Amino acid sequence: MPARKPHTVETSKPGRGFWVTTAILALIAFAGWLYFWMIPTVQPWLPPEGGHPGDQVDWLFRFMASAAAVLYTFVVGYVIYFAIAYRRRKSDPPGALGFHVHDNTKLEAAWTIIPTLFVVLLSALSVNIWYVLQVQPNNGLVVESIGRQWYFTFRYPNVNGEVTSEMHLPVGVPVTLNVTSQDVIHSFWVPDMRLKADMIPGMINTIRFTPTRIGRYQIICTEFCGTEHSTMDKQIMVVEPQAQYAAWYHGWQVRNAHVGNALPTVSTGTINLAGGDAAAGRALFSQKCSACHALGPFSQRIVGPGLQGVLHDPAHPNLVDGDPATPANVAKILQSGYTGSFGHMPNQSENGLSSKDIANLVTYLNSLR
Amino acid sequence: MSVIAEHGGIAEHIHPEPQGFVRKYIFSLDHKIIGIQYIITAFVFFVLAGLLAEVIRIQLMHANGGFLTPEVYNEVYSVHGSAMVWLVIIPMLTGGFGNFVMPVQIGARDVAFPWLNMISFWIFPVAGLMLFSSFLMGAPVAGWTEYPPMSLQGAAGTSMWCAAIFLVGVSSTLTGMNFLVTMLKMRAPGMTYTRMPLFCWGQLATAPLLMIATTALAAALAALFMERQFGVPFYDPTRGGSPVLWQHMFWFYSHPAVYIMILPAFGIMSEVISVFSRKPVFGYRLIAFSSSAIALAGFMVWAHHMFTSGIAPYMQLPFMILTFAIAVPTGVKIFSWLATMWGGKIYLTSSMLFAIGFLALFTFGGISGIFLAAIPFDLHVHGTYFIPAHIHYVLVGGSLMGIFSGMYYWFPKLTGRYMSELWGRVHFALFVIGFSGTFLPMHYLGAMGMPRRVATYDPQFQFWNQFESISSFVMTLAILIFFVNMLYSIRHGKPAGHNPWGARTLEWQIPSPPPYYNFKHIPSVFGLPYDFTEPLPYTHLEDELTDSPVAVGAH
Repeated sequence: MPARKPHTVETSKPGRGFWVTTAILALIAFAGWLYFWMIPTVQPWLPPEGGHPGDQVDWLFRFMASAAAVLYTFVVGYVIYFAIAYRRRKSDPPGALGFHVHDNTKLEAAWTIIPTLFVVLLSALSVNIWYVLQVQPNNGLVVESIGRQWYFTFRYPNVNGEVTSEMHLPVGVPVTLNVTSQDVIHSFWVPDMRLKADMIPGMINTIRFTPTRIGRYQIICTEFCGTEHSTMDKQIMVVEPQAQYAAWYHGWQVRNAHVGNALPTVSTGTINLAGGDAAAGRALFSQKCSACHALGPFSQRIVGPGLQGVLHDPAHPNLVDGDPATPANVAKILQSGYTGSFGHMPNQSENGLSSKDIANLVTYLNSLR
Repeated sequence: MSVIAEHGGIAEHIHPEPQGFVRKYIFSLDHKIIGIQYIITAFVFFVLAGLLAEVIRIQLMHANGGFLTPEVYNEVYSVHGSAMVWLVIIPMLTGGFGNFVMPVQIGARDVAFPWLNMISFWIFPVAGLMLFSSFLMGAPVAGWTEYPPMSLQGAAGTSMWCAAIFLVGVSSTLTGMNFLVTMLKMRAPGMTYTRMPLFCWGQLATAPLLMIATTALAAALAALFMERQFGVPFYDPTRGGSPVLWQHMFWFYSHPAVYIMILPAFGIMSEVISVFSRKPVFGYRLIAFSSSAIALAGFMVWAHHMFTSGIAPYMQLPFMILTFAIAVPTGVKIFSWLATMWGGKIYLTSSMLFAIGFLALFTFGGISGIFLAAIPFDLHVHGTYFIPAHIHYVLVGGSLMGIFSGMYYWFPKLTGRYMSELWGRVHFALFVIGFSGTFLPMHYLGAMGMPRRVATYDPQFQFWNQFESISSFVMTLAILIFFVNMLYSIRHGKPAGHNPWGARTLEWQIPSPPPYYNFKHIPSVFGLPYDFTEPLPYTHLEDELTDSPVAVGAH
């Protein structure tokens, strides 16, 4: 090992230039923070906002953008300042070195711990807003949208078949929108509502929002879906609920009266499930259901899925229409049927089940584990 | 012999130099030649994929497109993305710089498995040609991510794409394994893990990612290929498959893949910033540790690409929070490099300028990554131009700036000559201007409502798209200057000597270009390579720059 020469090492603390620069950067950072945080209702960086919870998303954007402006100002400011202030000058002797500093535990701890705390704060805020997005409104409208190459259609409660015109929504009414696809993956994006869900064949994804401003909003497909992907869009008309929405809705009820089945209404509640007879239900099942449904696990598909334990299967907590697998909801499907991207299930007029039959069938299905 | 005893059994054995052009330059076993082969091949693919990028920008000059049909446009951006990721950035940083630099930096004569290294390389150009040949039979259209069921509808070239990416993945996996064994077993005596140069730490964190993550992609590709060619239903929902299965497997690879593409560039930054600031790299241990932390956490965040895909709501939260958490070790690196520059004697060479540009642009891309990790905001901008903006800020502003920095830095070692510093600065200035003009407005376009992967778009976005296209021509000009500079300098550059930058890692202590055996005597290491005030921490290097004979052993 060669002997190590003792060196006198130039050490230094941050000088006046550093603190002046820091002060200037702090001013710029404050201005940037102020700009993004205090941005008024007119948002130049996002499209006009059309509803709730878009306001929450905008709040998160403002929070992140204002914090990012501070962080970025300091990083880039110091990079430029160091590159200029500590550049090698012609007057420097050849072989001149920088300060001999290896590390500084306090500094390193600071820039590990402070960002960690910020991450905790940002996580808490994001989870909070994420929760708002998940909350199912217990009133309002349940609508379905189906994507196909290359157009969107909609299904409304008590309207047979699919609505092919522009989507209409009453202003101020919470909407639960279930989306799916019949071919490849599409994506349902309303920039003004700040919400998006992929439309995936064989799956239902849900977005929940409340349009708060009357107007026309664009739906855009944001998942590549083939040649005409660029032009796949549609409009949402958010209209005044009484006259305009009701008229439009009634028009589609009449127009589609002769086709398919209606999307089940949200509240039927006409069937009394108490006192159902499981043995009678079992007989009915082999008569009415077993052509399409096996008495096996969910994956054992004939036309529809296997129904063994349909009410108790933790892997499939929801029914085909996205509602939780409860006896009342099973009864609802037996009553009003289902027509959608998963296929067709007869309704009460087609399957010929009486209300008592339905109660018996539900009791039987509930007894299967 | 005492040397053998001292070196713990590593023989001082040097094989005779291979003779003949083919064994020397084509099917070479020498890690340096293979590294240069990787660099050249990747640059060739870079030119091709870059031309495709310009085709994209020409199409987007007008809201109605009109330059290409949508079908061809979709093929163009799909092959552009695939080629840039798999044929340019990954091979350049691992196969290229990793091969040329890493074995010398740890004091080895070659990688652990030279034959495997040669095979890894030769798979790569074949796979690249296969990918580009897919244009002949209808190239893939569904982007570099190729989500089924769309990719099941794609033309025959989509199957060719599967095969090509599978092969390039095999090449990556073998390289990762080779590098990992090399770094675990072949470090020079005294080169402990805490004395390894940080570029090697970057490679050490990358190698397991290459080995583990790429296998998941291989399985996904094999399944897609079987479904397309033989009808085995993995992804088709009408036959019991799951399209989301592909997304999980693809992103289980492709998220770690972004760390494959950035960790070696981080390593380059640590070397370049320390050498040109004439200062020890600040917080060596924390930088080395944070590379490993990023690599490990990188495996646990893949579903943040799938927040709109309908994964169970509560499953989204850990992915979001872990993604936020990765910002911490990444920030530690950025702050450490800043602290390395503080109080330095900074040489503003082309290499250092690109390192400074890296700090500014990559940090921006990292911050937009935090925006995307936050589920509520991601639901707004997912699938829009915000995503291409973010990915180009990290892969061009990060990885490609790292590649340029590394090229200016190691070019004298590759060739013994400098690249022109004047043109290097012109390259830097034009590149940063062109890059920012191309990709900065994309954030705005995405947030305002422009979806990605579109051949035509809403006319309200035309102004900024034209601005981007014109900026991209500036960026192309900058890259053209870089290539001319590089090709000219190979023969006509100013001679640089063995250590033009006064660097202290091992590759700079031997002649340029290094001889095929690297070291006449394997050195011993007794310190970190960053203490500029100390004598070099190596012994047994006295003969390397002299004409003393090489002890070539028999087989």
